[in-house]
Amino acid sequence: MTRRNPLREIGYHVTASTISLLWLLPIILVVVTAFRSFDDVARNGVGSLPRSFTFDGFAQAWTDGGAARALVNSMLVTVPTVVITLALASVSAFALSRYDIPFRRTVLLLMLAGNLLPPQILLVPVAKLSEVLGLYDSLVALVVVQVGFGLGFYTFVLHGFMRAIPAEIQQAAVIDGAGAGQLFLRIILPLTRPALAALSALAFTWVFNDLLWAITVLRSEDRMPVTPALLGLQGQFVSMWNVIAAGSVIAAIPTVAVFLRFQKHFVAGLALGAVK
Amino acid sequence: MSIDGLSRRNFLAGLGGVGAAAILGGCATSASTGTGQAGGAVTLQSNLSAPLPKAAMESVVAAFNQKGGAQAVLNTVAAETFRTQLPSYLTSGNPPDLYTWYAGSVGRSYAKKGLLLDLSDVWSGLTDYSAATRTLSGDDAGKQIIVPITYYWWGMFYRKSNFEKWGVRPPTTWDEFLAVCEALRAKGVEPIGMGAGGTTPWVASAWFDYLNIRINGAVYHRELLAGRHRFDDPQVKAVFAKWKEVLPHFDKSATAIPFQDATTSLLQGRTGMMLIGTFFADAAPKDALDDIDFFQFPIIDPKVPIAEEGPTDGFFASAKTPRGAEVKEFLKYLATAEAQELFIKNSAGTVLPVNPKAKDSGTPLVAKGRKMLNDAAEITQFFNRDSSDALQPTADAALLQFFAQPDQVDSILATWQAAAEKVWSS
Repeated sequence: MTRRNPLREIGYHVTASTISLLWLLPIILVVVTAFRSFDDVARNGVGSLPRSFTFDGFAQAWTDGGAARALVNSMLVTVPTVVITLALASVSAFALSRYDIPFRRTVLLLMLAGNLLPPQILLVPVAKLSEVLGLYDSLVALVVVQVGFGLGFYTFVLHGFMRAIPAEIQQAAVIDGAGAGQLFLRIILPLTRPALAALSALAFTWVFNDLLWAITVLRSEDRMPVTPALLGLQGQFVSMWNVIAAGSVIAAIPTVAVFLRFQKHFVAGLALGAVK
Repeated sequence: MSIDGLSRRNFLAGLGGVGAAAILGGCATSASTGTGQAGGAVTLQSNLSAPLPKAAMESVVAAFNQKGGAQAVLNTVAAETFRTQLPSYLTSGNPPDLYTWYAGSVGRSYAKKGLLLDLSDVWSGLTDYSAATRTLSGDDAGKQIIVPITYYWWGMFYRKSNFEKWGVRPPTTWDEFLAVCEALRAKGVEPIGMGAGGTTPWVASAWFDYLNIRINGAVYHRELLAGRHRFDDPQVKAVFAKWKEVLPHFDKSATAIPFQDATTSLLQGRTGMMLIGTFFADAAPKDALDDIDFFQFPIIDPKVPIAEEGPTDGFFASAKTPRGAEVKEFLKYLATAEAQELFIKNSAGTVLPVNPKAKDSGTPLVAKGRKMLNDAAEITQFFNRDSSDALQPTADAALLQFFAQPDQVDSILATWQAAAEKVWSS
C-alpha cells in the first residue's frame, strides 16, 4: 500500500533528484568552466552561463600549467606507494591476525592511533626529518611519508579481514606442509584479494589527491605532483579559473579510471567485510 | 620457552638499538654536510605563479643565463604555497638562494632572525635607485636586505565609457567624490565595488590605508602600524567617521565576493568604481583594458602631504647561500634597466620599473600612474607590507566587522587594538 502511494513516490523522486543535483552541481560547474575562454569568465563571472566553447583551457593547463609532467610525478609517487604500502600492510596484517604474537593488540592499536593524530601537527617534524635524512625535495621522500602514514590504517583494515578467514583453512594447509611464506602467498593472500582491490582503489585516490605532504617535503616546481601543480595555476592575485578547471578535469581522469576499474571489487570488498 | 622468547626479544631490542644508533649517526653526518656546496646555478624560488608574470620572470632568467656569467634556475611555486612555506624554506639546511618578496617592514622579521643575506654591497652599485627605495629595502640594523625591481600603484579604477554614459567626471576632492557616488546611486548603479569577500579580505585594508594617509598622513600611518599609536586613538576614529560617510555607497556584496568577481562587476558596469591595485588588469579581458582609467584617491585634507600606495616587489637572499658572489651578480643584473624593461615587456605591463632609467610599457594609463607616484610626497606600501603578515588578519577582522556593524566602531577598535598588541608583543 505504501509503495503505491503517489505522494510518497513523488516525494522520493523530488528529494533524490534534488540531492543528486546538489551533489553534481560543483562537478558540472567545473566541467562547464573548463570549456570556457578566460575572457568569457572575466567578463561574465565564474558563475554565469557559458558564452564560449574552447579547448584552450586544456591546452594551457597541459603545456603552461605543466599538467603533463605533474601527472607523471603523481604516478611515480602513487603507484610505488600503493604497491609498497599494501605489500607491507598485508604482511603485517597476516602476522598480527594469524599468529599469536605478544602485544599484538597493542601494536594494532598503536598503528591505528597514528591515524588519529591530525597530520597538520606533524608537518614540521616531517619536513625537518626528511631534510636530516637527505630526502627533502625528492619524490622518494613523498613515497616514504605516504607509506608511513598509510600503513597503519591499511594494516588495521586487512587485519580485520584476514581474521575472518576460518582457521580450518590455515590448519589444513599447515598439515599439508605449508610454511608461513606459502601459507601467506598461496592461501591467505588470494582470499584477501577483494579487500586488497578495494584498498588499492582507496589508497590510489588518497595518495593521488594529497596536497599537504607534497608541499611539505617538495619545493621544486618540476617535482610537484598534480595537486600542487593545480594550485600553482592560481596566481598571487588573479586566477585563470578556466585553466584551473581544465587542469582539475585532467587530474581527475586517473582516479576516475582506477575507480571504474576497481568498482566491482570495491563494492564487493565492502559487502564482504560487512557480512563476514 | 619463555627464556628463549626473552632472549630473542633482547636480541631484537639490541638490534633495534644498533639500527637506531646507525640512523642517528647518519643524520649527524648528513646534517653537517647538508648545507650544499659552492658553485652551481643560483636557485630562485619565485611566487609569480600567474601565467604572465611567470613568463616574464622566465624571460629575465633566460636573458641572464645567456650572458655567460653565473647561471640561475627559476623554480616557481604557487603563491599560496610560497607564503606558507617561506619560513621552512629559509630555515632549511639547504635553502634556495634567492626569493621573490616585498620591500618594507614585512621582510625585516626574517632579517632580525639572521636568515637574510646582507646585500649592502649590491646596493653600493645601485646609484640610480632613489633614497626612499634604499630606506625601504633596509632592515632595522641598517643593512640592505632586498633588491626591488618593480612596483605598482593603487587608484580608483573605472570604465571611461561608463563614466561618460552616466555623465560623471572623475572627482579630486572628497566632496566631489561623494557627489559622484550620489549621481551613480541615482542612476541605479552601485557606486563603489570592493571585493573583500572570499579569499581576499585584505582588499578592505586599502580603504583604511588611504583614508588614514589622507587624514592623518603617512608618518602617522607607519607609526600606527609599527605599534607606536593605538588603534582606538581619536585619529583612527576620525578615519572611520569619514569612512561612514561613504559606507552607504559601497556595493552590497562588497564583503561577500572576492576581488576578482568584484572586477567582473566593475567591467560589467554593475559597480561604478573600485579602489584596487593595477594587478586587477590581469583579470580583465584584453579588449576592456583600453577602456580602463583611474583617478587618484580623493584629497580629504589639503594640508596633509600627499601620500600614495606604491607596493614594491623585489628579491632577498638566504644568509646560508654558498653562492653569495653569484647571487649578487644576478641581483645586480635584475637591478639594471635592461632586465626590468625585459620583465615589463613580457608581463601584463601594468607594473613600473624601480630603476628610474628603465622605460615602462608606455601606455597612457601607466604614464599617469607613474606620474602620480612621482608627484607624491610619501609612498606607503600596503597594510601588511608596512607592518607584518601577522597584523593583516587583525585588520581584516576589524574592517569586515565594521562593514557589518558600522555603529560599533568603538568596540571594534578596542578589539583590534587588543589583537594587534598580541602581534606586536610576540
